[in-house]
Amino acid sequence: MSSASYYLLPFYFRRLNHKEILVNEVGDYIVAPQGTVERIVYRKIEEKEDLFHDLLANYIISLTPIPDLIDIYAVRLRTKKSFLDGFTALHIFVLTLRCNQNCVYCQASSQKENACYKDMQVEDLRKSVELMFKSPSQHLTMEFQGGEPTLTPHLIRIAAEYASQINLTQKRELTFVLCTNCVNLTDEVLEICKQYNILISTSLDGPATLHNRNRGKNDSYEKVIAGIEKARTLLGMDKVSALMTTSIEALQYSKEIVDSYIENNFHSIFIRALNPYGLAVENTNWEDYNSRFIDFYKTTLEYILEINKKGVFFVEEFACLVLRKILTPFPIGFVDLQSPAGVINSVIVYNYDGYVYASDESRMLAEKQDFTFRLGKISDTYENIFYGEKSQKISQTWSNECLAGCSNCSYQSYCGADPVRNYSTQGDMYGHRPTSLLCKKYKSIIDYIFLLLMERENEVLPIFKSWINKTDA
Amino acid sequence: MVQSFSIEVNRNVYDDVVISQVVYWHSDDFVITRNVNDNTETITLHPRDIHITNEEKERVLQQFQQDLNDFKLRQIVAQETKDIRTILYIKAFANNDDFVDYE
Repeated sequence: MSSASYYLLPFYFRRLNHKEILVNEVGDYIVAPQGTVERIVYRKIEEKEDLFHDLLANYIISLTPIPDLIDIYAVRLRTKKSFLDGFTALHIFVLTLRCNQNCVYCQASSQKENACYKDMQVEDLRKSVELMFKSPSQHLTMEFQGGEPTLTPHLIRIAAEYASQINLTQKRELTFVLCTNCVNLTDEVLEICKQYNILISTSLDGPATLHNRNRGKNDSYEKVIAGIEKARTLLGMDKVSALMTTSIEALQYSKEIVDSYIENNFHSIFIRALNPYGLAVENTNWEDYNSRFIDFYKTTLEYILEINKKGVFFVEEFACLVLRKILTPFPIGFVDLQSPAGVINSVIVYNYDGYVYASDESRMLAEKQDFTFRLGKISDTYENIFYGEKSQKISQTWSNECLAGCSNCSYQSYCGADPVRNYSTQGDMYGHRPTSLLCKKYKSIIDYIFLLLMERENEVLPIFKSWINKTDA
Repeated sequence: MVQSFSIEVNRNVYDDVVISQVVYWHSDDFVITRNVNDNTETITLHPRDIHITNEEKERVLQQFQQDLNDFKLRQIVAQETKDIRTILYIKAFANNDDFVDYE
C-alpha cells in the first residue's frame, strides 16, 4: 500500500502518557499514538486512515504546498493574537505603598499605615490618567492598587472623576477596579465605588485560621468577610471578586480553602502561586515550594471537579484560562499567558513614586532598588515611555516564538513569555527554560489538564465547557 | 554513585542544531562538555547532583536518545515549514489590502 503525498505545516509535539500531543500554529491539538509524528514526517500516513483526515483538518499536513484555506488559517492566527490590537488595556495605579495589614507573603513591599512619602502625588495621578487615554485601546481598565489603596480615598475619587470627565469626549469602554483587602471599607470608599461603578477585587486566602496567619493579624478574616458583605450589599453580588495566594502554610489546606470560598458565596477561585517578589522572595525555598505548589494545584483541581460533579457550579480560573486557549479560537486577557508578553502590550503601572513601570512585578523589583523595568517618569511623553529604549530592549525577549526552549515547545500557544520573571529569578530577561521554575509549573499544569482531557474526557469536558461558557454543566 | 558518563553521537545522523537542543534541555541536571572528532561527537555529562545512581544514569541515557530522535523530527518539521510559516504570519499580520495574489 503506497503512502499519501502531502506537505507538512508548522506543528509542535510532546509525549505524554504514552501518547503524542500534536499542536498546530493556532493551538488546535490532536492526541495520537506514539510514533505518529515520525510517520507523518517520513510520509508514512496513508490516505485511507482516519488520522490522515484529522491531520488535514487540523492544519498539520496539507495536500498542496500552500493550503487552500490558508487565508482562513491566517485569520485564526490573527484572532489568537488579537489581544495586541488595542495595545495597553490594563492600567494599574499604585496610589500608595502604605498598608493596614502585615502579610507574610507581601509581594509589594508594603509599608506601615503611617509611613511618609508613600502616596502618589495628585499631579502625577492626573498626568497618569492623561497618559492612559493616549493608549489606543477602546477598552481601558483602571485598576487601583497598593499597599492598600482605600487608605487614600481622595486619590481614588480624583482618579475616577478625572478619567470619567475625559471619557465624556474619548468615549472608551472604561472599567474601574479597586484592589483592596476589604479590611477597612469605609462608607466614603463605598460611596465612591457606587458613584463610579467601581468593581472590587479582594484577597481571601481561605478559612479564618489560615487567612489570619497569612495576614499577621488575629481579626483579619472577620473584617474581610464583613467588608465583602458590606460591599455586596451596597454594590451588588457580582461587583466583588476574590483572589487567593498560596502561602507555604496554605499548601496543606486545599479542601478547606475551596470550602471557604463556597461558604462565602463565591463561584470561582484562582489558585495563585506565590511570586518571587517583595517579602516572599526572602522567606521561601522556591524549588521546594514550586514542586509542592504543583501537587497542591492538582489536588485542589480534583476537589473542585468533584464538587462540580455533585452539581455545584464552581470554577478554577487558571484552568479555565488555559482551557479557553486550548478549546476555543479566542485569546484571553490574562497578561501572564501572552506572547508577546503582557508587559507594556497589555499592562502598564503608574507608581506612587512618580515613575511608570512595565508591569506590577516591575514596580515590586523597584522596591528592592532594581529599576531595570522603570520606563520613565510619569511626566515624560507617551512615546518615550511606551516606545522608548527600555521598552525596545524588553521587546527583544517578549515573544516565546523566538526564545530557546519555547520556540519549539508544544505548549507555546497556551503559554506566555515573561522577561520580568526571567530577570528576577534567573538574572536576565531571556531566561533559561531548563532551570525555570515558571516553565516547570506551567508545563506541569498544562500536562495535567491534557491528561484530564485525554483520560477522562467524558467526565471533565462538560464541566470544562461550562466553565468556559460560564454556565452550569 | 556515578561521576560522569559519555554518549557518542554520529553527526551525520544528528546535526549540530539537534544535538545543541538536546544538550540545552539536559543542562539543568548536568554540566555538559562536547568534543567533536570527525563525524563523531562525544558528549560528556557531569552530574550536578553527585548522588546520581546507575539506574538514573540509564534513564538519562535512554531519555537522551529519545530526545535526539524527537528534536531531529522537530528540526525536519521546522525546516520544511519555514516558508509556509512565514507566509502564514505575513498573511495574518500584514495589511492584506496591499497584497496581490499571483495564480
